[in-house]
Formats: sequence, structure tokens, C-alpha cells
Amino acid sequence: MRRARVLVNKGEQQGIELDITIDQNDQLHTEDGELLNEADVSWLSPVKEPGTIFALGLNYADHASELAFEPPKEPLVFLKGANTLTGHKQDAYRPDDIDFMHYECELVAVIGKAGKNIKREDALDYVAGYTVCNDFAIRDYLENYYRPNLRVKSRDSLCPIGPWMVDAADLPDVSNLRLTTHVNGELTQEGTTADMIFDIPFLIEYLSATLTLQPGDMIATGTPKGLKDMQPGDTVVCTIEGVGALETRIVSEQAFYGDKY
Amino acid sequence: MTTDLNSTASSKWVCVALNDLQQLNSLQAEFNEAPYKQPPTQPVLYFKPRNTWGRDGAVIEQPASEQLVVGASIAVMIGQECCRVSEQQALDYVAGYRLLHDFSLPEQSYYRPDIKGKCLDNSAPLSEAQLDTTVAANPSELTVVTSVNGEQKAALPVTQLHRNVQQLIATISRIMTLQPGDLIAVGFPGDRIPVQPGDQVKSEIIGASESVILQNSIGEGAA
Repeated sequence: MRRARVLVNKGEQQGIELDITIDQNDQLHTEDGELLNEADVSWLSPVKEPGTIFALGLNYADHASELAFEPPKEPLVFLKGANTLTGHKQDAYRPDDIDFMHYECELVAVIGKAGKNIKREDALDYVAGYTVCNDFAIRDYLENYYRPNLRVKSRDSLCPIGPWMVDAADLPDVSNLRLTTHVNGELTQEGTTADMIFDIPFLIEYLSATLTLQPGDMIATGTPKGLKDMQPGDTVVCTIEGVGALETRIVSEQAFYGDKY
Repeated sequence: MTTDLNSTASSKWVCVALNDLQQLNSLQAEFNEAPYKQPPTQPVLYFKPRNTWGRDGAVIEQPASEQLVVGASIAVMIGQECCRVSEQQALDYVAGYRLLHDFSLPEQSYYRPDIKGKCLDNSAPLSEAQLDTTVAANPSELTVVTSVNGEQKAALPVTQLHRNVQQLIATISRIMTLQPGDLIAVGFPGDRIPVQPGDQVKSEIIGASESVILQNSIGEGAA
């Protein structure tokens, strides 16, 4: 099953939040059995009550070498705020006065059950499902303190996620899924989850050795090689085989914040 | 006064590291070397994720064969949505001030995010008591004092912070929109305090007409 959350307008009522499912013919069903037109919905993050967002740096060997880093011997994990999350086909902004902002197409494991000291063999029992995120980075803002620092990785709107979550039961093997990113239709990033340095069972064991994972927590598992700068007006689509294709429009900081700019 | 906490699973508990001016000055030479290469130009921030959130009176378990250290900070409680605000307006978005204990493993390096050291379960207890902004109009008059088993170990006046509360709210709210229930722990004493099983840790905000106290103990149960 593919599950998503959307906003719809019904007559006078604006912005009603609905949990929906998406069938094999890509039709959108509400819990009341109503069919929705995709043109009438606004996609939200598929995780209803997002908890802790763990993200991996340098978790694909080719990407690490692209950034001139040795592949890590231990996972490089950082945390992201829920303010970063936005849905499919929503806007993400490029800050003013920067030189390099890039996408990162990532497979996300969504935790479905609480656990501590989870063993690798049991790890996938704790995964509710999978989705796609685009973990944008602003390289100009990197500093060598808790790198990648929050200014780089915890900005509003800079982690689009979705369009939906695929139940783990429907995707028993995520160890060799093709990832691609297209910018304005052009293929700019390509890889496979087979090249992850630390796979999802390892990461669940590793994180849960320190802390209790809880439903709604997410692990964004890193991105392969293929960086490209993003500009306002660009459309970027991150696709993971068997999971989904997540589309994001880049806008300027001023366009994004409007009156608050 | 005691106030309900608005935090939800999605709330952000943002901590500011390296904001004790004495500590920052003492590390300048080190920060000019690798891997840092230059001192930080921006506030050094980390999250305490929800598994760490705890309460006044909570017992903190020490991980087996690890040293635990603690620091206390004023927790600036955000009262309304706060996006790209100026330093002049910043305090309008504050509901009040609480105390946060950050229990962690000693930090050997500030280069990478420290999940193993800073994300232990229940390692971020927060006081239930809160100094409302009507009681503490000027956070610069506040000081956080921490004692272990009745002996004072640290005192950090807000005036000793490299960046003050207003500056931090302004800077952080340009990175991330803050929501009611979010908090900013604005600064910890540079020297974190080592604690042992059985220790009683007590911090207090002084300098206002009401005081805020946060007490935690270290569990004996760790094997």
C-alpha cells in the first residue's frame, strides 16, 4: 500500500488534511472511499507526526570521493528539524547570496515501532515503510563544527519528502534500488542503494544502541554521486525505483518567505 | 510558575554549544588548527531529539563503562511562531525561561555531530517551572548555578555568553522557523561537570524575583 497525506479544499472549507492511499492505477482514495483528482490536492509530508529525522552523510562511496572524503569507518549521522519537511510538488528555496546549493536524492526508512538495542537481523521489523527525500545542502554555509551544521541542513523547506510512503511489506528488499535525479528533465544523478556503505539494518542497530527509536522517526540514508547547483525556476525530481518520484520547484528566498522576507 | 509544555514529536530543542565566552576564548588556538581551520563564525548548534526529553526529578542512567557529564542552560521557550525576526523584536516571541540539563558523554571533538554522546535517552530534562517574561523582562540579569550533592560546580551569567538571547533568536529564526513548544538552550558552561551514579544534580536560575530549579539524579542501576 502507498499512503500519503494531502490538503484539499471542499467548498467553503479550505485546507482539509486527509490521509489517502494510492492504488496501482495511481488513483487517490480517501479513507471514506472517495476518489480525488491529483490536480485538486496539495501534497504533504507522508509522515503524519514526524519525529526525529536522522540523516547520513557520505554514505555512498562514490559521493564521498566526489567530495574528497575518505569513506567513513563509522556512520556520519546528523539530525534535521521538522521545519525542513515539505511535500511533493511544493517549493523549496535557494538562499540569496550563495554559490552552491545541491539536491540529495535519498531513500528514507520510516520507523513504525519503538525499539532499543535492536539487532541487525530484526531491524526491518521496525520499519513501517519507505519514502524518498531530497536532502538539499547549502555548501556555502558549511563550517567545521558539528559538520554538516544546522545552517546547512536544517533550513525551512529544504527536505522535501514523499510523495507517499510505501509499506515495508510491499518492498521487502531495498538493497538494490535504482536512484536517479533529473533537473529540468536532464538526468544529473544516478546510483543504486546497493552502493550504500552502511545499510538500513546496520543503521537501525547502530542508532538503537544509543537511543530508543520511535514510530515516526526517519532515517535518510544518504545520496550517491552527482551534484549540481540549483537555481530558482529549476524543477528537480528525485526517483527511487519501487518507491516514488518526488518533485520540487526551486524558488528564491524572497518568493518563499513573501511578507516575512 | 509551572506551565504545560507545548512540545510535540516535531518540536525542536536547539542547543547552542561553545557560547561560553571564556571557553571560546580558551579554544581559539585549537580552533585555528585542523580539522577546524578557523574559529566558528556562526552559532554552533545541535538538537536534543525527542528520545532525550525528560522532566524535573528524572533519574538519568549512566551508560555502562562511560563517563557522564552535565551542563545546565537557560531554555528560552518559544511562545509564538518565530520566523526571521530582528534582535529588537526577538523577546516578543519568548514565552519564558526554563532550565535544561544536558547530560552527555565528554566531547573530544566538535568537528562532527555527536549522536552517540548527545542523544542518550532521557538526557535532556527540562524544568516544569518557568520564569515568565513578565517576571524576567531582561534575560541578561539571569545566572544559572549548578551544584552536585550540594556543592556548587558552575555558575554562568547570561552576560558571559558570546551571543546573547536576542542575537541567537534572530540568527536561528533565519535558519528555521521556530514554533510554540520549541526551545533554545542558549549556553552551557564550557567545563561540563563529571557525575557518578548516585549524584544529585541541581541547577537554579537566579537573578529574578522568582527562581527556577531543576533537579536530577544519576541512577545506581547501571551495570
